[in-house]
Amino acid sequence: MTEITTQNELMQPRGYWSDAIRRLRKRKMAMLCFWIVAAYAVLAGFIWVGDILVIHFKWEIPIVQWNEHVGPNYQKPLAHYEFIPEMKTESQKGWSLLGTDFMGQSTLRKALYGAKTAMMVAFCASIISILIGVPLGALAGYYRGWVDDAIVWFYTTLGTIPYILLLMAFAVVLRGAHIGPWELRGSVAVYLAIGLTSWVGLCRLIRGEIIKRKESEYVLAARAMGCSDFRILFFHLLPNVFHIILINFSLRFVSFIHAEVILSFLGLGETDKPSWGAMIDAARTELARDVWWEMAAATVAIFIISLALNIFSDALRDCLDPKLRMD
Amino acid sequence: MSDHDILLSVQNLSTHFFTQQGVAKAVQDVSFDIPAGHMMALVGESGCGKSVTSLSILRLIPNPPGEIVGGKIIFKGQNLLELSEHRMRAIRGNDIAMIFQEPMTSLNPVFTIGNQIVEVIKLHQGIKGQAAWDLAIEMLKKVGIADPVRRVEEYPHQLSGGMRQRAMIAMALSCSPSLLIADEPTTALDVTIQAQILELLKKLQSENRMSILLITHDLGVVAETAQTVVVMYASKVVEKADVQSLFGSPRHPYTQGLLRSLPRLGQRRKRLDVIGGSVPNPVAFPSGCKFHPRCPIGAKDPHCQACEPPLQEVQTGHAVACWYAEGYRR
Repeated sequence: MTEITTQNELMQPRGYWSDAIRRLRKRKMAMLCFWIVAAYAVLAGFIWVGDILVIHFKWEIPIVQWNEHVGPNYQKPLAHYEFIPEMKTESQKGWSLLGTDFMGQSTLRKALYGAKTAMMVAFCASIISILIGVPLGALAGYYRGWVDDAIVWFYTTLGTIPYILLLMAFAVVLRGAHIGPWELRGSVAVYLAIGLTSWVGLCRLIRGEIIKRKESEYVLAARAMGCSDFRILFFHLLPNVFHIILINFSLRFVSFIHAEVILSFLGLGETDKPSWGAMIDAARTELARDVWWEMAAATVAIFIISLALNIFSDALRDCLDPKLRMD
Repeated sequence: MSDHDILLSVQNLSTHFFTQQGVAKAVQDVSFDIPAGHMMALVGESGCGKSVTSLSILRLIPNPPGEIVGGKIIFKGQNLLELSEHRMRAIRGNDIAMIFQEPMTSLNPVFTIGNQIVEVIKLHQGIKGQAAWDLAIEMLKKVGIADPVRRVEEYPHQLSGGMRQRAMIAMALSCSPSLLIADEPTTALDVTIQAQILELLKKLQSENRMSILLITHDLGVVAETAQTVVVMYASKVVEKADVQSLFGSPRHPYTQGLLRSLPRLGQRRKRLDVIGGSVPNPVAFPSGCKFHPRCPIGAKDPHCQACEPPLQEVQTGHAVACWYAEGYRR
């Protein structure tokens, strides 16, 4: 009896996801990158909540209060300094890990806040891009005919416009635009602009996958069981391409962070909150004065998240794509 | 229940595919009746239109390019070809279920067996939650899957081919349909599993008083399981009979050729007989009797080459489409 139970335990069914996670866990590098990405995400979440507490509830959370003047301007990293804070007369000693900018604000706090801006924008833009790209691609691939023609025409037209120009145009138009009673402010305009312009690749990918899979026997079988088109498309076919959406999401995330940086650098991004792009933009003038740390902080922050996300996405694809499965 | 209690009556069904090369007449003027509780076999070589016939019954022909251009499919007194798509969906899987050739690919790879059976049950029976799961487990037990409680949680890739086909059957039968269309259900399985699956189908058929339309190219399977046989060649019915008379006295040269090409126990021969030539292209069928280029008589007879023979009854319940059906002796 005991033998049988052990055998049954050994033969416990392993689902697709638990199997993928198990294989992902075996990769040390991928796991390291996952924890780095997770750390950025947690940091972004913490700063997001902290920001609300500071602004609306007047809490004191120094690390979130990026606009506080912590010292004299252009202090080098790891420097001790004495300065007179605003509204006060006696001097105060200070120490800064990553130096200060031209306003005497902490570069470290700005870089951390930049992580929140970038992650929020990339996340929201990804969701918007998936919400547009996936249904359109699925409909085009499933119905073909004039639906396909219309959608393909639409995204091809959009795709012919150079991406940066399109992104800039959307960002300019959306910034300060009014949708009903709401005015699009700050990062909302940024992630709308990125999301609305970047779904073409995903749409094309999903369309191709649906075309490939809709001829499969399980679709015919589902139809023979009396499933409607809607049901087949969204409950039978889309779950089969879900891993592609997930992989695409993680790959896109990096490019969306970059897009946010580019927009901020060009002055089209979030202007009243720190972001990595704005920091690099500020550093253009600072570099002439030998102030390198603001540039360095933003660049290193971007570099680490980009590298970690890329390695992690790669590993994720290897583990999720059944055709690439290696054990 | 009498033999005249017809469950499904296919009358003069024609299905054409409008392709770039021309109109492929995949099914032409096909008629047959399936009485309730009956197993009927539809036999023919690849590309003769047997699968298209079965898909036409469920109206699953991809359109475009395919289209049912004529005929009637009377199921329980209503013409399926006149129903709305919505009504048709309620029939598919509920009154008429279908199982497919490839158990490897006809289950959705990302859902568990249980999920897939439960979906059909929910869709047609309105049973939800634990009751639906219990029914799914019961169905798996019915089709002879050992340890069904564990198997419902498993994914298709964790099951063997035979078990997947059993799971497909469980799914198809979960709404107790009155007609099951089995499109080459055993072709992808090895011989011992084939026998088990056929045994299972026969058992379930008699238990549920269900009719089965068995589509196959395997005459061995037909002899073992079916009560009546329809032989198709080049999109038309060439012979229709009950199993005994078809195997005992086949009338059409094509059927005779098929039976001659089967290996027999106790017969020592170097080579099996073959029917020369190959299946004609459905875009350009030969004139007259479509079998004439491959037929030992038709190849010489100008009448066969010019005129197409109608399907005529030569005995009660035995119809043949051949000019020589009456006078021909083996």
